[in-house]
Amino acid sequence: MNIATRKLKSTTIVDINGHIDIGSSPAFRKALLDYLKASERLAVNLRAVKYIDSSGIASLLEVLKEARGSNKKFVLFGLTAAVREVLQLTRLTGVFEIHETEAEAVEIATQVGGAP
Amino acid sequence: MSFVVPSDPRILTVIRAAVGELCLVYGLPGEECRGITLAVDEALANIIRHAYRGAADQPIEVACEARADRLEFTLLDQGEPPDPARLAPHPLDSVSLGGRGTHIIRMVMDEVCYQQVPRGNQLRLRKLLPAAAVATGAGRENL
Repeated sequence: MNIATRKLKSTTIVDINGHIDIGSSPAFRKALLDYLKASERLAVNLRAVKYIDSSGIASLLEVLKEARGSNKKFVLFGLTAAVREVLQLTRLTGVFEIHETEAEAVEIATQVGGAP
Repeated sequence: MSFVVPSDPRILTVIRAAVGELCLVYGLPGEECRGITLAVDEALANIIRHAYRGAADQPIEVACEARADRLEFTLLDQGEPPDPARLAPHPLDSVSLGGRGTHIIRMVMDEVCYQQVPRGNQLRLRKLLPAAAVATGAGRENL
């Protein structure tokens, strides 16, 4: 798994590439929590995620809770079939704010207001 | 097809590739292949995390067997027996972080059977093949 970040408007975009499983999810979780601390708005690009397991989903859920607790914005976009299916299996599709494109994610993330 | 792998998370990607390809060979559609791969991976992750408490050098036996009507995956470890409460089906809520792996396994597979056997903890995951795959498949086949 590789993680990179960039800034677009006032949103930090986190680009994830590769597999997120029990081997990589601790680093995934820590990176997202660190980026969230340093940003008011975080958008996670999952377009290049080939695989995610329940530990990766739990990491996303933990970051979402942290964002809500600190009144920050946390959105996901570019979900691959693999990611979408795991969210459906774990019944969490409706819990996250999910967008198709980066433009939508950034626009929503920069709108006034905190967590959904 | 059977192999013994160490309880090292880095090996999971190898098992996922093998299971995914096996499902494709037996004519399962992409979504089913991904689901079965995920279920087997979650079961292995549970063994690594719970039975072996994260130790990366313990053995896990993985056996994949194709029969006329089903695919069967048998996992065997010599770690701590699982907590029955964790294996039992339970409703998910939107806030709990744990327990989703077991839920996924039960959602994807048609039969999940845990047994303590003389050689350790055995988990058997069974997935029935769709009718089309059964019609074109051969009889029992040890891979």
